[in-house]
Amino acid sequence: MYRAGRSNPRIDLIILTTCILLALAARTLPATMRDPVATAMRRTFLAPLVMLQGRAEMSRQSLLLAESKTAVRDSVSLTAMRAGSLEGENERLRKLMGLASGLRWGFVPAEALHGRGIRDETTVILTAGSQAGVSRLSPVIAPEGLVGVVDQVDPTMSHAMLWTHPDFRVSAMSPDGSAFGIAQAHLRGTTNGYLIELRGVPFRAALKPGALIVSSGWGGVWPRGIPVGTVLQEIKTSESWARTYLLRPAVSPADIYSVMILRRDRVAKGMDGVWESVAEAEAAAQRIVVAGDSAAKSAALAEAAARRAVLDSTARATGQPVPTGGDSARVFTAPRPAPVRVPADTDTTRARVLTVPPPVDTTPRQPPPTDSLPARPGLTR
Amino acid sequence: MNVGPVVRATITFLIFIVLHYTLRPLLGWRAPMDFLILALLLAAVRVRPGTAAIIGFLLGLVSDSLAPEALGAGAIAMTTIGFGASYLKAVFFADNLVLNAFFFFLGKWVFDIMYFIGEQRVHGVELVQQLLLWSPLSAAVTAAAGVLLLFIMRPLLEPSTA
Repeated sequence: MYRAGRSNPRIDLIILTTCILLALAARTLPATMRDPVATAMRRTFLAPLVMLQGRAEMSRQSLLLAESKTAVRDSVSLTAMRAGSLEGENERLRKLMGLASGLRWGFVPAEALHGRGIRDETTVILTAGSQAGVSRLSPVIAPEGLVGVVDQVDPTMSHAMLWTHPDFRVSAMSPDGSAFGIAQAHLRGTTNGYLIELRGVPFRAALKPGALIVSSGWGGVWPRGIPVGTVLQEIKTSESWARTYLLRPAVSPADIYSVMILRRDRVAKGMDGVWESVAEAEAAAQRIVVAGDSAAKSAALAEAAARRAVLDSTARATGQPVPTGGDSARVFTAPRPAPVRVPADTDTTRARVLTVPPPVDTTPRQPPPTDSLPARPGLTR
Repeated sequence: MNVGPVVRATITFLIFIVLHYTLRPLLGWRAPMDFLILALLLAAVRVRPGTAAIIGFLLGLVSDSLAPEALGAGAIAMTTIGFGASYLKAVFFADNLVLNAFFFFLGKWVFDIMYFIGEQRVHGVELVQQLLLWSPLSAAVTAAAGVLLLFIMRPLLEPSTA
């Protein structure tokens, strides 16, 4: 190591004594003088070191809080993901309730349980059985339209054949009755997703793309008027005596969660006007939701204006400058609506559910006598 | 006078001071290492006792400025430590790392004893616990850090052979 040169002990002792005396003097300074001295040192030549220390401590705090911050971020992300699924579920339930109000009676609500097998895209388990009034060949519908038909019934659950099943058939027609045919799953174009074929349509009946196809009611299983799908295009088949159309299904198999199973007595009464009322109920629900959102927004604005006015008046009373964030005079002169306390995080999805009228009971009522079948002599349902 | 060793010693001294205000708060240990003491000891063995006392006094004031209620306590302790280290450098000048570690340990512990007694903020059992438990721990950590840094900075601290 490096050694210093020859020293003079007397000078060293004098320096030591001086430093010790100065340090003692600093130690005995009153607080009123001590603080300014320390502050002056911190603000001048020690400022870079103080800044370094501050940043190091902030880094340490960040390291310590990183785990909890990550946990909070994960919780928020999870909540956001759940909110999305809840909104989707609300949407489905709202549609289902609209369908229930349209049907009025004679249906059994059920949940569709999807399996994971190969055949699960053509069949589904329903959480309602014979104890709830479900019988074999009971139609299964969703708010969007036709889903399938019950083929096996247990006391507490049932097994349904979806429209994607190769054996599924339903008599279908255009709503005006100008074209009739048999709808079945389109099995050849599997790469294009799930589609429906409408076969056996007479040559004289031409359908345009986008035309709605509904069940015709012929055959006695399906009531008339349930949406089956919309026309995509005509396809060429070996059947030269009739047209075949490709339909986009009203209900996608992947979207089947909550369904309605129609009881036999309800099938006999027809479904005329049900889907129109479903659409009307949905539109009404949307209008209520929009109105609710607008009311909540206006109430929140009114409350914010009232708070701003109170802050302004307080500032004036205490002689402080009025915040420049807004025109307080305008707030005072404007008619102030009554402050309504509305939570900031109003859950509109939940409100949407509450705005829909509750489902009516399923007890049979005597509807006006409407026969949905066309009076065709010689044909039986 | 050879300027090279002085510049290198000054750089080392500044590095230790910067480490005291960056690495020490970043680690946040209960028994923290004291890079100011290391800087003082490394400087003290290279200068006259009077100069070491001045360096200690200034470093003490720097340290005390962040704790104004104890202003002067650190200055007294560091002045004494600096003067003593420079005065006793004949004992500790060797390049033996173990001796240097003991030197750092002793310097930090003596500093803590003087500081906490002079500061008069800690009393009774807490003071005994501080001086007999936390201060030796802190001194040991300081000694370990000092030896490690000496090992790393050996090229910077060795006198030039030219």
